[in-house]
Amino acid sequence: MKINSKVLVEAGIMIAMAQVLSYVVIFQMPQGGSVTAGSMVPIIFFALRRGWKQGILAGSVYGVLQFILGPKYSFHIISLLFDYAVAFGALGLAGLLKPTSKRNIALGAILAVLGRFACHFVSGVVIWSVYATGNPYWYSLGYNASYLLPEMMVSVFLLVLIYDPISRSIERNG
Amino acid sequence: MFRDITIGQYLPGESFIHRLDPRTKILSVLFFMVGIFGVKHLTSYVFVLALTLFVILSARISLSYLLKGLKPIFIILVFTVGLHLFMTPGEELVRFIGLTITLEGVEKAAFMALRLIFLVLFASLLTLTTAPMSLTDGLEKLLTPFAKIGLPAHELAMMMSIALRFIPTLIDETDKIMKAQKARGADFESGNVWQRAKSMIPLLVPLFVSAFRRADELAMAMEARCYRGSQGRTRMKQLQYRPTDVLVTGLMGTFMLLTFLYL
Repeated sequence: MKINSKVLVEAGIMIAMAQVLSYVVIFQMPQGGSVTAGSMVPIIFFALRRGWKQGILAGSVYGVLQFILGPKYSFHIISLLFDYAVAFGALGLAGLLKPTSKRNIALGAILAVLGRFACHFVSGVVIWSVYATGNPYWYSLGYNASYLLPEMMVSVFLLVLIYDPISRSIERNG
Repeated sequence: MFRDITIGQYLPGESFIHRLDPRTKILSVLFFMVGIFGVKHLTSYVFVLALTLFVILSARISLSYLLKGLKPIFIILVFTVGLHLFMTPGEELVRFIGLTITLEGVEKAAFMALRLIFLVLFASLLTLTTAPMSLTDGLEKLLTPFAKIGLPAHELAMMMSIALRFIPTLIDETDKIMKAQKARGADFESGNVWQRAKSMIPLLVPLFVSAFRRADELAMAMEARCYRGSQGRTRMKQLQYRPTDVLVTGLMGTFMLLTFLYL
């Protein structure tokens, strides 16, 4: 797979931006989670702009970066894979839609977060069945939805509002 | 608001562990993570503990600093222990308000908690003793064989290096834009979730626009210096796989096999 250097550099900088935005917490949730200032926005933006293949690559790199720089949620070798590289790679699925209308942008962003959710869900089921008893499906569903749902709503909201103005400005400048 | 952020966890040092090749350390952590699932008895954790302590001591990392890394899993740890303590049937030890703790429960709870703790400690040791850039180089080398089946190993590593290089720059940029918008009356710290999300727009738009401008300039600079991807690219500092690396990788591989066979 050949990636031209402009796309490569854009991916790198969007990953850096996602990491920086993850430090900006806009809302602290009661159970300890937090809603960030759309740390998924740059990756989804990039996927919409450059297509799903590039999006998945950039997302996976962002996932690995989170492992390198952030706290370690290493419960299982499968969780390591699914909670980091694959989960964030799934954000690239947004690129399956062409960002021609606000509806498509919103759908793309929703698809991306659902993809990420599916990965955390699988990993949650594995962890739950290894470490605990009881029904793993409801636990994983509830836990992952509790932080991803608010984060998804904020990301969709922001992307719909900022995608067009930013794209237009980029076209003008370069 | 960004002045007190530390990026990553790397603690520079000159120890034996620090000087190992990043590939050795990545492989060792993978072997360890697979191996620990082969441990079948509570008593076998003595060997795991000995190995982990040996690594911690030779890396000269303070134990209290390392234990701080357990904070994010604290809730799941308490949850796991609680669940096994009260839900495992067996020989009764204590009973109060309808809850019974069994001998088997205590054993199972300790077993699961130790597994979790060791997994997180060992993964933290990797990033505490290896600089992010050197981890990236190691990953690139380890993934290169997969380039034959279409995995763009070099490109992935390049994205990571660019991201690592630009995180501090973009933190400064974010800080600057936030201050500029505050001076114009922007309010980032009050209101409900929606109002706060909306207040992010005056931050995000200029941040994106300047980030894309930077990307443009960097891409042009790279092309001007004839960057053509991985083809024929050389390095100033080559990674070297020394005899100690072979030894450590071999020992960790043996550890993995032993846990499945005997522990």
